[in-house]
Amino acid sequence: MAIMNKQITIGSVSGNDEIRPGYVLMTIHVHRSFPEPRPGQFVMIRIAGLQEPFLSRPLSIFSFSRGRSHGLVKLLYRVAGKGTQILAGLIRGSQVEIVGPLGKGYTVDPSRENRVLIAGGIGVAPLSLLAQHLCRLSGRGANPAVVYLGAKTADELVGLDQLHKYCNSIRVCTDDGSLGEKSLVTRTFQKDMKKHDPARTSIYACGPKPMLQSLAGILKDRYFCQVSLEERMACGVGACMGCAVAVRDENGDKTYRRVCADGPVFDLQKVIWE
Amino acid sequence: MVVEIAGLKLKNPVMTASGTFGCGEEYAGYVDLNRLGGIVVKGLSLKPRLGNPPPRIMETAGGMLNAVGLQNIGVDAFIEEKLPFLRTYDVAVIANIYGESCAEYAQVARKLSAAPGVHALEVNVSCPNVKKGGLSFGADPKAAAEVTKRVKAETHLPVIVKLTPNVTDITVIARAVEEAGADAVSLINTLTGMSIDLKTRTPHLKNITGGLSGPAIKPVALRMVWQAAQKVTIPVIGMGGIMTAEDALEFMVAGAKAVQVGTANFINPLATSEIVQGMRQYVKHHKLKNITEIVGTLKV
Repeated sequence: MAIMNKQITIGSVSGNDEIRPGYVLMTIHVHRSFPEPRPGQFVMIRIAGLQEPFLSRPLSIFSFSRGRSHGLVKLLYRVAGKGTQILAGLIRGSQVEIVGPLGKGYTVDPSRENRVLIAGGIGVAPLSLLAQHLCRLSGRGANPAVVYLGAKTADELVGLDQLHKYCNSIRVCTDDGSLGEKSLVTRTFQKDMKKHDPARTSIYACGPKPMLQSLAGILKDRYFCQVSLEERMACGVGACMGCAVAVRDENGDKTYRRVCADGPVFDLQKVIWE
Repeated sequence: MVVEIAGLKLKNPVMTASGTFGCGEEYAGYVDLNRLGGIVVKGLSLKPRLGNPPPRIMETAGGMLNAVGLQNIGVDAFIEEKLPFLRTYDVAVIANIYGESCAEYAQVARKLSAAPGVHALEVNVSCPNVKKGGLSFGADPKAAAEVTKRVKAETHLPVIVKLTPNVTDITVIARAVEEAGADAVSLINTLTGMSIDLKTRTPHLKNITGGLSGPAIKPVALRMVWQAAQKVTIPVIGMGGIMTAEDALEFMVAGAKAVQVGTANFINPLATSEIVQGMRQYVKHHKLKNITEIVGTLKV
């Protein structure tokens, strides 16, 4: 028999601010007992009692802290459709139902002390929590990670302030050059690649599919690289098989894995880009 | 709250619908599985199935479309890897089975009948998302009867046949499988539907079409359960958009002896246990001896 230790958390929205056009940072007060999320994990969130939108939305955990009286979950999300649009309209004090933290997060190998984070657009969300985690691990003075942060335009570049709290080595780039270098984030990384010795480097990435696919081509199988994937989900706990992603199994054969329960973090080289 | 379906005793009339509850493990941290009437596991085929390419799901008004395509680990892996976990619970386990041919249905049925811890079979002749088998059996009374006969010949377990709503008259199929020896029917499976992205003019699902579930289909499901219950003498198990105890009770009034809860699990992992709780309160409030007293009591 399984231990019954999972529950639905009722949270209270204490902030839901559009920090950039189409990008919203939601802060949610939860009970003190909310489980500590691992970087890369997500929550399923819905508006309490409401049937529209019908399904919960999977959102990466951007930051988490625990105070004396409550926990604070922060979700950074892009308004991409009807569901996130309704979430973006929530006012202070709104009640939300949260299932999570869910999924498998990034794995941190202590022996690979050179950590590289590559974020594209809203993909910065799970990597921020990872930066926070790495910062705690590496202690004062040490640089927990080298960050490559990219977006289409300066307007869409989010999460930089948060990353600055943890990392001092951040390379910023935009597709149109409106902030930082005018380049794709993968290309900026590629130019730097020689600095990162494959034997002692872990790369963690999150971003749009074309970015991750191009990263797969750049890295081949020389580097340890984990990516966090996104897919439409219904249940978030592994039951509905809706969020399938094609990957290579142990024998190299194609199979479908669940982004929610087997991921959302996968080894980059195992992912099949269809 | 106890109900009996073809010799199968359920603690209460609430089961999980196939494909919405995995093999129990996914929800065991949220729900006490011992409190459920039954667990209907994800559809099992003879060999593992890869399933359909993504995207597989899309939200629609009051529900969702899915085209998972019966991705499953296969009957042998189920018996070896999943069944031992379910055996640690005191709950009826109903194995949902699928085949591409009558012979495959029969083989899967035989394997499961020999496995300790399976209490009944639910024959899926109604999946809209696979090319072979599935719906092609469920939409034709002769084929549905043939599958039923073949499965019955292989098992001592109660056989439930799960019907599709994607037919002109569901009662014709219900009667055909009853005559072929089915011990119960369960209905409805999902309604075939589709959803289009206007921006790109492409279907939201890679499979183009998918099965619609959720509260949007409840009125259709209620109507079909009511119609079928009048035409067959074997028990009818009702499902389709049940979100609350009230929904479940409506199905029972329409003629269902038991119910299955599906899509509700996705948005509320505690849906099944909350529905059981709500039914208990109804029994108490209306001073019923047993919940079955309301079955088929629709006043028309």
